Amino acid sequence: MTEVSKTEINKKLNTDYKITWCPGCPNFRILESAKVVLSNLMKQGYKQENFAMACGIGCHGKIFDYLNISGFYGLHGRTIPTAIGLKLGNPNLNVIAFAGDGDTYSEGVEHFVSAGKHNANVALFVHDNQSFSLTTGQPTPTSEKGFKNKIDYSGAKLTNPINPLMLALSSGITFIARANARDVQGTAKIMEAAIKHKGFAFVEIIQDCIVFNIPINNRDKDMYYLKKIPATKDETIKLMQEYDYNINDGKIALGIFWKEERLTLEDQFPQLQNMIKNKIIGWKNLKR
Amino acid sequence: MRLNICIGGRAGQGINLVSGIVSGILTKHGYYTFNYRDYPSIIRGGHNFNILSISDEKIESHESRIDGLVAMDDLTIEIHKRELKKSGFIIPSDKYVEFGINLNIALAGALMKILGINKLILDEEIKNSVRKNPEESLKAADFGFDSVEKKFTLPKLNNRLQILSGSDGVIQGAINSKLDVYIGYPMTPATPVLTGLASTQEKYGHLVFQPEGEIAVANMALAASFAGARTIIGTSSGGFDLMTEALSLQGQSEIPLVAYLAQRSGPATGLPTYTMQGDLDIALRAGHGEFPRIVIAPGTPVEAIEKTNEAFYLSEKFRVLSIILSDKHLAESEFSLTETPKKPLEVKITRPVPGEKILKATSYEHDEFGNSTESAELTTRNGLARLRKYSEIKKACEKFEMIKLHGNLKSKNLIVAWGSTAGAIKDAIKNLDVKFLQVIYIKPISDQIKSEIKKSNKVLLIEQNLTGQLGRLIREKTGISIKQKVLKFDGRPFTSDTLREQIKKEFKLK
Ligand SMILES: Cc1ncc(C[n+]2csc(CCOP(=O)(O)OP(=O)(O)O)c2C)c(N)n1
Ligand code: SF4
Repeated sequence: MTEVSKTEINKKLNTDYKITWCPGCPNFRILESAKVVLSNLMKQGYKQENFAMACGIGCHGKIFDYLNISGFYGLHGRTIPTAIGLKLGNPNLNVIAFAGDGDTYSEGVEHFVSAGKHNANVALFVHDNQSFSLTTGQPTPTSEKGFKNKIDYSGAKLTNPINPLMLALSSGITFIARANARDVQGTAKIMEAAIKHKGFAFVEIIQDCIVFNIPINNRDKDMYYLKKIPATKDETIKLMQEYDYNINDGKIALGIFWKEERLTLEDQFPQLQNMIKNKIIGWKNLKR
Repeated sequence: MRLNICIGGRAGQGINLVSGIVSGILTKHGYYTFNYRDYPSIIRGGHNFNILSISDEKIESHESRIDGLVAMDDLTIEIHKRELKKSGFIIPSDKYVEFGINLNIALAGALMKILGINKLILDEEIKNSVRKNPEESLKAADFGFDSVEKKFTLPKLNNRLQILSGSDGVIQGAINSKLDVYIGYPMTPATPVLTGLASTQEKYGHLVFQPEGEIAVANMALAASFAGARTIIGTSSGGFDLMTEALSLQGQSEIPLVAYLAQRSGPATGLPTYTMQGDLDIALRAGHGEFPRIVIAPGTPVEAIEKTNEAFYLSEKFRVLSIILSDKHLAESEFSLTETPKKPLEVKITRPVPGEKILKATSYEHDEFGNSTESAELTTRNGLARLRKYSEIKKACEKFEMIKLHGNLKSKNLIVAWGSTAGAIKDAIKNLDVKFLQVIYIKPISDQIKSEIKKSNKVLLIEQNLTGQLGRLIREKTGISIKQKVLKFDGRPFTSDTLREQIKKEFKLK
């Protein structure tokens, strides 16, 4: 898989903030992927000031300081409502959300399972390192069975992890994909599709934490890209279940597993349509 | 002249329609009304009742002793017989059961006759308020009307009145402020504002959204406000607990936010449909960390209109959290609107918003660009800036009515109270040697409270809670401890006649 970006990164996306991720953390790659996508989109006419991000609290959330776009660095677990709020305040913003697995599947799971129903036009990127990393390695709902950590004193988490893709599918999320943080270009491509999807797009990014959950790391050899979006729900489910987030368990498909079009949250409000049609910058600039 | 009519029945029998029709007619007839709604948390069955108080003078409360009992079922008679005055009347339902769902209309007809209202006025009101099968309803009303004898004469008065609940007041205040977005999750007694604003979305162009819970509500609202929407959230006590984390986030991110908190009886689920002033402490302090906020407690629907507007104005001006503190009794009681509310202040967003430029809001301590920081120096500077902001807010609030004085302004007997108890207190002290200090702004709090207390010989604290939360705050702010207290915490609001006796006793008045 390619590691060097082919798209030149637009320098305007950089900040001079000192990056504090552990050296070698794949979060660096996610940041690069994000910059690649945004650079690409800016080439296609998207405006830099029109992007807005919502970030969770955790290692992943630090991306907020490293990316020069508008954003709201909200609370742990609340990335999704924060992102939806940005859309309600200005439906013309291109809203992206960076969240952690603890953030999304533990503290904020009520928002995740409701996101499909709301179907706001937001792209959610979950940095899934199968661990609460910023708090030094406690188990999250996707931690593999047997995860050695400081909380389960038997020395191992004995229950099976949840499958976030299956949870997303049963929650009615209209775009479901998986990416590998280490593959900058592959991830960027999926991110771009997610941002362009009309509705709530969820990209689960496998992001190794090289400090707190080493056993689950380096699964690249088991990963492969789906050639196309599965044609039936049955096929989607089969592919989602290939990998159950445990060690040594199955192939790991990457790419888009599910995509459907449904009315978005913003489309459902007649009072937003003038703002959307005439590209008015939020309620503040709407004359009514 | 003052009459109190109790209209009772099972949930789902339509007692609100009876009080609605009757108060609608009496309002047009120039009479002041106050309608108290008492209902358990049951959708069908149980026992619901309204006390409709009627007067030719301004009233803002109901009384405990009733002049008439309109009973949709026998249980109503059984429960309320004791409250009936000797001269009181009962309209039982037996005679009218054949009217089925129009039983309530038949009873309304009978009540109108007893009150001496012209049949034509009754028919007119029914045509206006009944959508489905008005002919059937008219038949029932006429039958009811003809079934009883006239007992009172209510000559037409020249007052031009309108009926308004506290919830209506908050709705009107928000609309006057040109709200853009309301986010809420249903919880009695805050729900009428949620549904009321939802049903006026098309007319006024604002947006109402109900997400998955109060945590989502509050976090979403801050983001919407950051993106440039005049945003208000609404909830009741338990829902407010859940919003706490986001209130603290407001303090750090300094994004304007208005929160409507309608209290009910707690702790926990408590009495879901009954009133209490138990949440003043959490309104003042909920959310970790130290940051400025505004807490305003209107006591009447008109105050709700004005203070909601001030809350929006101050929130936007100072990028601060404003809490409008109400309760079940104010939110769901129906008052006669007697004054015209003040002209609303314009709520203008002048701050830049995302989309116009690159902007960052954050929950971390931060520099002026929104970059996270752990610097001791910046943390100190930001803390001091929050303090400074609070003193600016206090100065700005002093332009508004932070307190009101009622009753005999020369009296040395002072009542101190806040929120929905104001109505019963004002009615209770009519012609008594008592002054009433109504605290409306609770944070910041007016310096006048101290001077008013100092001017008085006797001070009585009245609150609808167990521990006298405003009293504690006053002691904290002024060093004065109010020893005399009338506290009620059974979920039922004060009635003005009972309260009058209590006040007389406390102040040793004849
Ligand atoms: C309400 C709340 N609970 C707990 C925390 C402490 N906390 C900070 S980061 C974090 C875990 C983050 O885990 P995850 O979302 O997976 O992000 P990662 O650090 O792994 O990228 C927790 C629990 C918090 N900030 N707020
Ligand atoms: S702790 Fe793990 S996730 Fe966090 S920066 Fe270090 S390697 Fe990355």
